[in-house]
Amino acid sequence: MHRRFHDLLPLLLVPALMLSAGGCTPRKKTDTANTLNTYQPSRIKGLDPIYADDIYSGTEVKRAYEGLLQYHYLKRPYELAPNLAEAMPEVSADGRSYTFKLKKGVLFQDDPCFKETGGQGRELTADDVVYSFLRLVDPRLVSTGWWVLDGKIEGLNEWRESAKHAPPDYTKPITGLQALDRYTVRITLVRRSAQFLFALAMPFTSIVPREAVQHYGKEFLNHPVGTGPFRMAEFDRNSRLVWVKNPTYRKELYPSEGESGDKEAGLLEDAGKPIPFLDRIVVQVFDETHPQWLSFLSGKLDATGIPKDNFAEAVGGNHDLTPELQKKGIRLHKNPGIDIVRTTFNMKDPLVGRNKLLRQAISLAYDAEPYIELFFNGRAIPAQGPIPPGVAGFDPDFKNPYRQYNLEKAKELLAKAGYPGGKGLPPLEYSATADGVSRQTTEYLQKLLAPLGIKLKVNTYSWPEFQAGVKNARGQLWSYAWNADYPDAENFLQLFYSKNASPGPNDANYSNPEFDRLYEKALQLQDGPERTALYQQMVRIVVEDCPWIFAVHRSIFSLVQPWVKNYKRHGFEHNAMKYYRVDPALKKQ
Amino acid sequence: MTVYLLRKLLGTIPTIFGVALIVFLLFHVVGGDPTYQMLGKYATAEQVAELRHQLGFDQPLHRQFVGFLREIVTFDFGESYATKQKVSRMILDGIVPSLSLTLPAFFLTTLIAVVIGLLVAYFRGRWIDRVTVLLCVLGMSVPVLAYILFGQYFLAYRLQLFPIAGYDPEWPERLVYLALPILISVMVSVGFSVRFYRTALIEETSQDYVRTARAKGLSEPRIYLKHVLKNSLVPIVTNVVMDLPLLVLGAFLLEKFFGIPGLGGITINAVHDSDFQVIKAMTIFQSFLFILGNVLTDVAYTLVDPRVSFDGR
Repeated sequence: MHRRFHDLLPLLLVPALMLSAGGCTPRKKTDTANTLNTYQPSRIKGLDPIYADDIYSGTEVKRAYEGLLQYHYLKRPYELAPNLAEAMPEVSADGRSYTFKLKKGVLFQDDPCFKETGGQGRELTADDVVYSFLRLVDPRLVSTGWWVLDGKIEGLNEWRESAKHAPPDYTKPITGLQALDRYTVRITLVRRSAQFLFALAMPFTSIVPREAVQHYGKEFLNHPVGTGPFRMAEFDRNSRLVWVKNPTYRKELYPSEGESGDKEAGLLEDAGKPIPFLDRIVVQVFDETHPQWLSFLSGKLDATGIPKDNFAEAVGGNHDLTPELQKKGIRLHKNPGIDIVRTTFNMKDPLVGRNKLLRQAISLAYDAEPYIELFFNGRAIPAQGPIPPGVAGFDPDFKNPYRQYNLEKAKELLAKAGYPGGKGLPPLEYSATADGVSRQTTEYLQKLLAPLGIKLKVNTYSWPEFQAGVKNARGQLWSYAWNADYPDAENFLQLFYSKNASPGPNDANYSNPEFDRLYEKALQLQDGPERTALYQQMVRIVVEDCPWIFAVHRSIFSLVQPWVKNYKRHGFEHNAMKYYRVDPALKKQ
Repeated sequence: MTVYLLRKLLGTIPTIFGVALIVFLLFHVVGGDPTYQMLGKYATAEQVAELRHQLGFDQPLHRQFVGFLREIVTFDFGESYATKQKVSRMILDGIVPSLSLTLPAFFLTTLIAVVIGLLVAYFRGRWIDRVTVLLCVLGMSVPVLAYILFGQYFLAYRLQLFPIAGYDPEWPERLVYLALPILISVMVSVGFSVRFYRTALIEETSQDYVRTARAKGLSEPRIYLKHVLKNSLVPIVTNVVMDLPLLVLGAFLLEKFFGIPGLGGITINAVHDSDFQVIKAMTIFQSFLFILGNVLTDVAYTLVDPRVSFDGR
């Protein structure tokens, strides 16, 4: 009997032998000098545009897929530009109807799904636009991006409603979404909206071919077939993605104009040249920042954010690059993040929701400066209101009277609120997620409120539980960040619109009829002084009512290797890498 | 043996049922509601209700549990709530990377530990034994994270002996990427294994037959390799065979730091996202593997020890 076991022994040795082979020189991969090595800090969910609601999936989706519009790569403030559309749309006199002319000769990437052409990608047409939008609306598909079209296009909500009770009919005419001819699409809105066009530059509204959806079925999310500059060569959503230049990509040119300073920064050296410049993009998925940081230092990553734990290695006093990294020619880019980190008061709560003085007192006791140093290595600025810098409506001169740290005034307001020295005030219920950073943030908040005599009762949850709690208005306070979906202050102000209350994005459940009136009025207006004035008026209303502690706006620090050219951080354009160029000589050095 | 195996397999049914019940109840008590995550930050009350209906969350608990049991029987857990990927495909995709890491690491650890165990049993009580035990305790005391950070910084980044992180499905590149995590895995677990095997081997050396062998004039290497090792196979096999099926589940921390797309990472992400479909599948899969380990151990006993038989004689 034991002999049989001995027979198995050689099998035990096999792994050891395999391991010894690990010392061999690895076979050279097909990476060319014109390869960009980048990363994602999270596993990629999939590559179906209608589910691309996180920035990581959105970025990968946009390498292969395109929408009607995109953002101008260099211009600031952010500006929309045509992508699959030949030009910006023609707008009707009443401002509700947009007519898009599609570029002619745009081809989908070659793929076996195109059976009629033997795998050659066919031309994109107006019908593809209608089909792709309807996929986003189709209730059976439970898209995470339906909100971008919800209630906006004439007849679309009705189509969605009918699709709930019967198989959806993608050929049914819809008044607000029409393919007028092979290259013309008309979109008619229910009412004027200055923000609608931003939706057409988001990953959700990317154009997909019906053949690919039908051919791959449930596996469509792993087989991208778009019109974009790159096509998928390898896809392991948990570890590595490789994109190669799409050989059938149309002729698109690098922009010839930008904002002031771009020319001096060398960002216009490639003006007018055909894009993309890169042959390959290799995306490594890093769950942890330690290997990501070491990979960048060893030159195996071409650009990176700066992990909190490695900040001192990269950035010294005055937020300049350390001499070691300067010597390597690494560049530091600093950009404002279009976001806000805030603590929300649940306005539905009978205690904090009905006592404005209590909220104002707490807001005054919140010292943002140490918070910025402790949690962001100084990479943030104190927020005065909901609108971050870089967005129309942001007023750099505005000082929120309840966000200037003042403990004495906070105590005074707390006494006026009916709780002198915190007496009589029960511990406030603070909801937090069960992770290290959240725990530290909570401890910081507890420490800030202690001098007022205010205690926090902390309830920790898993992220989905936390979300469910917030969406159901459970708890009295909680903190988290809001990142802009598009560069318009409306994206922040909608968070106070009463019709967006929980489970919608107004998780404070704030309601003020005057605010609502101004918000609805601003929705009808295009960007301009009148709308900006309305935005600033709305900011003053919410600042006074204090449904949030407006904590900070974060800044983004990025490091870029010297051989990467044309790098300019864009807060909204997911496919910025089509403009990047790698200098092979510098890389070799 | 067939009867025994059938009996064992039937015995797994209540175990799996119990596991299923616990997982189901835990999810419904503390698991959170994945619908908000699935719908994104702009979810409306109407959409939440619709999706809950689609997923069957509005059905009575007992009916949902029956649906879960049906999924177990067919091993069709549908799609992941978080990624929309097919759960069975996610598991299949994760098995090979996990095994590529854990299998060589496990066999190397066992091999090294048995060899060192034999050596220290032979030199029992002498300085080699004492130093080895001390090193084992030290090795066991260092957390795996410290090995990872040191290995990535010093061996990979500074000395450039290994890639810092990454994974390649092709051979032999895969081995190049896996060499460092395998080395770390061996370092972490070899201390414990050496102590375990040392104890088993020392116990065996105190048996009468060893004294008899020595009295007959057999050489010490022959006594240790031919007799002591053979008779120590029961605890060794128990240890090896019990762990073997669970290797499929991967090594979470190593996978996370080295970017290995194995099942460890998939499971943890599922817990983080309240991805009940994946959690359910992985829990049941793990239970099956555990039971499989038990059955294999019993079978292995009969192979290495003729005194053990299935009919209880």
